[in-house]
Amino acid sequence: MKATVVGSYPKIPNRPRPARLRNAISKLDRGEIAKAELAQVADEVTIEVLEEQAQAGLDLVTDGHIRWEDEQTYLARQLTGISINGLIRWFDTNMYFRQPVIEGDVTWQRPITVRDYAFAVEHSAKPVKPVLTGPYTLARLSIDNHYNNNEALALAFAEALNREAKALQEAGATLIQFNEPAILKQKDDIASFAKICERLVDGLTAETSLYLYFGDVEGIYAEIQQLPFDLIGLDLVMGAANAELLAGATFKKKLGLGIIDARNTRLETPDQIAKQIRRLSDGIDPDSVHVSPSAGLEFLPREVAQEKLRLLAEGVRKAEGVLV
Amino acid sequence: MTKGLITTTVGSFPKPPYLQQARNRFAAGKLPREELDELELQATREVIALQEEIGIDILVDGEMARGDMVVFFAEHLEGMEVGGLVRSYGNRYYHKPVVKGPVRWTEPMTVEMWKYAQSLTDKPVKGMLTGPYTMVEWSFLEGYDDFRTAVLEMARAVNYEALELNRAGATFIQIDEPALSTRMEDIELAIEAMAIATEGLTATTATHVCYGDFVSAYPRFFDMPVKQFDMEMANSSHELVDLLKTKGFPEDKEIAWGVVDVHSHKIESVDDVVAEIKRGLEVLPPERLYIDPDCGLKTRTWDESADKLRVIVRGVAQVKSELGIE
Repeated sequence: MKATVVGSYPKIPNRPRPARLRNAISKLDRGEIAKAELAQVADEVTIEVLEEQAQAGLDLVTDGHIRWEDEQTYLARQLTGISINGLIRWFDTNMYFRQPVIEGDVTWQRPITVRDYAFAVEHSAKPVKPVLTGPYTLARLSIDNHYNNNEALALAFAEALNREAKALQEAGATLIQFNEPAILKQKDDIASFAKICERLVDGLTAETSLYLYFGDVEGIYAEIQQLPFDLIGLDLVMGAANAELLAGATFKKKLGLGIIDARNTRLETPDQIAKQIRRLSDGIDPDSVHVSPSAGLEFLPREVAQEKLRLLAEGVRKAEGVLV
Repeated sequence: MTKGLITTTVGSFPKPPYLQQARNRFAAGKLPREELDELELQATREVIALQEEIGIDILVDGEMARGDMVVFFAEHLEGMEVGGLVRSYGNRYYHKPVVKGPVRWTEPMTVEMWKYAQSLTDKPVKGMLTGPYTMVEWSFLEGYDDFRTAVLEMARAVNYEALELNRAGATFIQIDEPALSTRMEDIELAIEAMAIATEGLTATTATHVCYGDFVSAYPRFFDMPVKQFDMEMANSSHELVDLLKTKGFPEDKEIAWGVVDVHSHKIESVDDVVAEIKRGLEVLPPERLYIDPDCGLKTRTWDESADKLRVIVRGVAQVKSELGIE
């Protein structure tokens, strides 16, 4: 069993610890430092975040997306055919992203996250997984003035991300994760989504995972198990119905259990977590189970995020019988 | 002559730079509370004077003492705390509040500032409150097992504050629920909570909800127990306007039609505003149609806010003279 995360991690700690990244970005905005200096701070904060995840007891970590301004634009800015528009709320969270506007053919030009991945691997005590926003979510949250067709746009994103995933694979990634919250808001699109996913993973030899959060998979439970990923991650907090679905029929793939609430500071206990893992993963090989928060952790203050991960790891060890 | 097309604003105004600096210095412990208080009053005088000068009909105090619309109340209500830093976008962070335990109203939070603003003008000043659904939805929830119970108890606290405003003489009280816009599936809970929040009020009640899926929540949305719906119409779909035109809107209720986009730096032309007002007049008679910006002005600069309000007043004047409205 693996204790892991879904992607993002809070970028700055609370007082009295210094908000180094925030201060560096302010200084860059005021012209007091150069971009290289900000990049240096982002690297150092990434190392801190890797260490915090390892200290919490995770088995598989991410770089925390410390350099990502939001889940859409970090990727979109590097692709062709896209300009970046104003702020808009990200799903029903209280966090905003800048909306990409599609103005021409979307194509991959150069690696976007490979250097970040290699840097994280070099500085992490634990295995690292790269996490990318998936093509469907990138397409849905853009304004499309060019393709005028969501599937065509998503297929273009899928092609571009396929190139990115191959570059990550080349750099040594053995598990590549895609986050696709948007499909849970448009379940009618599942057939189109399957086609987009085929394009996304075409020719990849690394393992792949798909994380679906901010809702349940009721109505598409059979379909998601047919998708071309090795592991599917589900949200058991905002998708309470997922628990019943899992109880109803054994899951056919490796399973990601998002059971810690990534959007609330209320702390779960290791005993609750262990009990929930045992119930939800009944009949599944423990090696095939990844346990995580329900979504990325940027919705929480940094200290709460780390404490939640510590409790999560302890719960996983209890579920495995390593701890009692 | 028909009356109508009363102008107002959604609530917040931008803080003048001196006040923003003072707030930062206060947060860093470098400015005494009394000095900040004095500057908040100064800014309030300026906000009232600006609205008077432009010719807005129903004024607001501009919320010069409030940072975030949820945090301000969280600092005063029993059972709420201000939590750790969470990023909202770019390099912007805020202290997201936490509902820690039973939420209780203990003292008036907005009444002194409302009274002060009202003392500066003969025009009515709106009492402005954050709604119970938004207060809970935009906070962390630790002290309740159940979201619904937390929202309903919050509604009671909001009601106490609204009653204080009512008692102080506010004739117009607006209770905003922007969080509902991304959660229209919670409309039943929001209605139940608003009924508690507005209980016993004699003032005219209103609510502002940011742009959301009103089409799917139609017509239930308009059962929210308030007199006036303050809505973002500048960017609204034809679908919604068509729905209001063909299927109707409750005859005892009003809309404050947001005619300029506060999320854009661009100042609309008088023609844009006139066209938007006329779209509103296709749905409602002028007595029940109020005209305002489509959201709080606090993200705009002072000058942009003034320009957007001026264009509204000009557009309204043009439509009034064209149609013979007083």
